[in-house]
Parts: sequence; C-alpha cells; structure tokens
Amino acid sequence: MHAALRRARPALGTLVEIGVEGLPEAAALAAIEAAFAEVAAVQRCMSFHASDSDLARLHRAACGSVVRVDARTFAVLRMAQRVALASQGAFDVSVAARLVRLGLLPRPASPFEPAPDANWRDIELPDDCSVRLRRPLWIDLGGIAKGYAVDRAIGILAGRGASHALVNAGGDLRVHGARATPVFLRVGQRVPRTPQLELSDAAIASSAPDGFDDAAPRPHLHGATRATVRGGASASVVAAQCMVADALTKVVLAAEPECSARVLAAFGAHALVHRPASGFERLGLAA
Amino acid sequence: MRVRWLIPAGACMAAVAPAAYATQYLSVEQAQRAAFPQAGAFVPVAAPDAATASALDAPPGWAPRIFAARGEDAATLGWLIVDQVLGKSEMITYATALDARGAVLSVEVLEYREAHGGEIRMAAWRKQFAGKTQSDAAALGRDIKNISGATLSCRHLTEGVQRVLRLHDFLLAARTG
Repeated sequence: MHAALRRARPALGTLVEIGVEGLPEAAALAAIEAAFAEVAAVQRCMSFHASDSDLARLHRAACGSVVRVDARTFAVLRMAQRVALASQGAFDVSVAARLVRLGLLPRPASPFEPAPDANWRDIELPDDCSVRLRRPLWIDLGGIAKGYAVDRAIGILAGRGASHALVNAGGDLRVHGARATPVFLRVGQRVPRTPQLELSDAAIASSAPDGFDDAAPRPHLHGATRATVRGGASASVVAAQCMVADALTKVVLAAEPECSARVLAAFGAHALVHRPASGFERLGLAA
Repeated sequence: MRVRWLIPAGACMAAVAPAAYATQYLSVEQAQRAAFPQAGAFVPVAAPDAATASALDAPPGWAPRIFAARGEDAATLGWLIVDQVLGKSEMITYATALDARGAVLSVEVLEYREAHGGEIRMAAWRKQFAGKTQSDAAALGRDIKNISGATLSCRHLTEGVQRVLRLHDFLLAARTG
C-alpha cells in the first residue's frame, strides 16, 4: 500500500507544503526531502538578501561585465524577460531599486547606483547562463522565483514516479497528476468553504497588492510607471507552470484589462480577479 | 494542464464564508523518529520555568515540550523541541531538531490550524492542543485544503525557532553528555 504523505516547512519566506502519493513510504519521504532541497537551492540562487546568491554577485559586479549564473537563475531571468516583453514592462524585475528606496528591500552591496530610468530592456542574456547589465540596475526575482521553486519541486516529485503531487508555497501551488484537485482561493483573511476550481497537471498563483499579511505589507509596483498598485483587488492566475502563474498575477493587477487578456492568452493562462465591490471576475482563455 | 472552474464565467459575487481548517502533518512521535532515526529513547525534559520564559522574552503561556534524544549508549544525540506560534489567525505547531551542540537539524511543521483571530482567545486556543493523540490527527487529516492566496508570513515561526535556540543556550547546552 502506497502512502499519501504531506510535509510542511518554512522556506521562501512562507510555509512550503509538499504532498506526494503513489510511492512506497521510504521513497515518498526521500522524494519530499529532495524536493525541499531543490526549493532551498532555488532560494539560495535567487535571494535578494543573501550575499552569496547569483543576484548578489550580479549586483556586486561592474556594470557591463558578463556574470555567470546558475542555469535555474538563467531560466527565471529568461521567463521574466518574456513576460516583460509581452506586458510592455508592466512586469519588470528591475523594480528592485524602487523597492529599496521604499524600504521594502535592503540596499544590496553594489559599486553603482541604479539609473533612475533603467529597466528590463537593460538586462541582457548574451549566452547560456550569462547575464550582463547594460545600465546600472538591481534585480528582484521575488515576483517569479517562488513559482519557479514550486515548478522545480514538482519536477523532482514527478521524476521520482509520484502519481500525484502537490507543492504549495504560501499560495503559489502546482498539482502533478491527472486527478482533479480542488483549490480554495483566499479572499482577504477568509478561506471559503467550497473550492473555486479544480486543477490537474496545472499551477495557480495568487497576489493581492495590499498583501495578505499585515505584518509585512509588500505592495506591487507597476513595472513601467513604478507606481504602487492600489484598489484592494486580488488576482489568481492558472497556467501550466507556476513560474508563469506567479509572474502573470503581477501583470493582471498592474496592467489594463486588454493588456492582461492579451498576455494571458500569449501564455495559455487564465485569471480570476476579485474586487471588493464586484466579486470574482474571470479573465483570459476560459472567460 | 486541465482546469475546471466551479464558479460561473463573468462577474459574480461569491459567498466567501469563513471556515476554520487544520492540517496535521506529523505527530510528535513521528517527528522524533524522523529527526533522530538512530535514537533509542526520547526523554522529556522539564519545561522552562517562568523566570526562564521571561529571560527569553517568550509570549504568555509559552510551554514548549522538550525531549532529549538518547542513543543506545544513553549519550545525548540532540534535542527535539515542540513549540507553538500564533499568527494573526493561525496556530502553527512545529518541531525543531537540534544536534548535541545546538545546531538546527530540521524544522518541521507538525500541525497548522487556522481560524478567525477574533473567534478565539489564546488560552482556549492552546487548550485544544493538550493531550492530542494520533487518532485526533486522523480526524484532522480529512479537512486538508489546498489554498491559493495564503501568503502567510513565517515571521512568527522564525521568531519561534530563534527563541528555541536561545532556550538551548540557556537551559540545554549544559545538559549535553
């Protein structure tokens, strides 16, 4: 008899829950350990705070020099650039300078001051695992790396033969396997009694500009205008990859609805937006 | 990728009823075996007294359960400390495993419970956890929910682990051997 096992540990600044089915108990526990280790590796590579992350090395390097990064950091940067292009900069990982100025991120060790008008177009990916900053800027992958960590963990669990697996990093979650898995969307501090959707082999991520956690408000910024996104709306995006779902929640909250619908379609994603005044509204493919 | 929305297309008001839920991941015994598979016994250590709790800047009612993991030769392999932290609306029971020198081996969440902050008073909340057994765990397991949007900070958990480390330095370091 194969066990269904779930474990939860603090990681990625939240609680990460990993569940697996279809493996003998010892293999299931080993798979869960390996998945948590992969989450930790993604965090080490892409932390804005840690002094030995790829981002820290990039920020310490002279502007214009080529910096080698882990293949995982490179994969996230490449996707971030694709989303930035599709959303005309509504999603932009170079908003870090603004977040530092707002006191939401610590100032990194860096020989340069970011140029006020530098943006995602100044991040070059000249070769595999190579990054070059054309102009001085700082990168924060906080809006996409958590989803990628979920993807990597799911990849480990699937690779070890799990028939069903679920990874939930504080609301960015992905389901592996054909079984329809109910998902509940939190609105404010409330969790509904009945699920809003069922997922199989798919991911969902949710964001609210005001933050779900009063202790650590972390507003989203519009990538192009750098203005704080307001209005109390929250957005959930469903996509095949959690990295895409994670990034597109920021687009849906920041961009105009027509732009959001176009970006969602380009990535085969759909969204559910909740506004306090009007309730849920579906956007994209399934609407 | 397959998605089935359970709410209609277009704008709609959805009734969002508050619902408490809970997930049990591991029992204390399972956490002990997972952290110290080679241990022969887990010996309870008296909980810190009020003066110690105060010195460690602990919240009211702080009552961690401490176990010394003993090897076959009765040497102390390390410690397992089961503690609870209360967030705005959630209670997390977690186990920190420390090696004999006080370094963190693992932090595992044993149980996660959520409810509205206003519904419960801390003392009553804590009482629910007294004498919890594995049969209770089975009942809790049925209530697992996959929630998107739960960006709960693990700040309280991090603070809890830091307090556990201070507790080790204050109370346990001298007992190893």
